[in-house]
Amino acid sequence: MYNDAEKQQIQKIIEQKQMRDFLKFYTNLIERCFNDCINDFTSKALTSKEETCIGRCTDKFLKHNERVGQRFGELNQQLMQQQQQAQQSQPQQSSGRWF
Amino acid sequence: MSFYPFGGGSSGGGSSQQQAVNAQNVAMAENELEMITDTFYRIVDSCYKKCIPPKYIEGELNKGESVCIDRCVAKYFEVNTKVGEALQKRGQQAGVGGAVTGFGA
Repeated sequence: MYNDAEKQQIQKIIEQKQMRDFLKFYTNLIERCFNDCINDFTSKALTSKEETCIGRCTDKFLKHNERVGQRFGELNQQLMQQQQQAQQSQPQQSSGRWF
Repeated sequence: MSFYPFGGGSSGGGSSQQQAVNAQNVAMAENELEMITDTFYRIVDSCYKKCIPPKYIEGELNKGESVCIDRCVAKYFEVNTKVGEALQKRGQQAGVGGAVTGFGA
C-alpha cells in the first residue's frame, strides 16, 4: 500500500510521535498522582503517607495503562480482521470462500 | 546535497530512493495514526476514571479492577462502532450536503 520511501517517512513520523507522546504520558502521570495523593499543605515536604500514595499511584496507573494496551491490541486486531472479512465478502468473485 | 538527477534525494537511509512520496498517502497514514493513538489515550483516561477509585491501598490492580478494565475497553470499542454506524447512516440520509464530511462508504 505504501512504497518504501513513504514507509520510511511514516516510520519517522511514528518515532517522533512516540517521543512526544511519552513526554505527555510522563507529565500527565505526575499531575494525576499529584491530584489524587497530595492534599496536605501544612508543610513543604511530602508526608510519608503521601510518598507511599505516590508510589502506589504510579504503579497502579502503569499497570492500568499496560492492561488497556493489551485489550486494545486484541480488540483492534479483531476489528481489523472483521473489516477485512467484510471487504472480502463484498465483490462476488469466483474465488470467494464461503463456509 | 543530492546528486540524484531525479531531484529531491532522501536525507535518511542510504538506499537509492527513486520513488516518489505521495504526500497525501503519508498524510492519511498520519491521520490514522493520530486517531488510533488518540482513541487509546481516551480509553486509558475514561476507564481509569470509571474503574480505579483514587484510594491507592496498594500498587497492584485487584481482580475487580482488572475485570472492570477489560469490560470497559470492550464497551468503548462497541460504542466506537455504534457511533460510527450511526454517523454513517445520518450522513447517507442527509445526502451530500450533510453536516459531517468525509465519512464515506
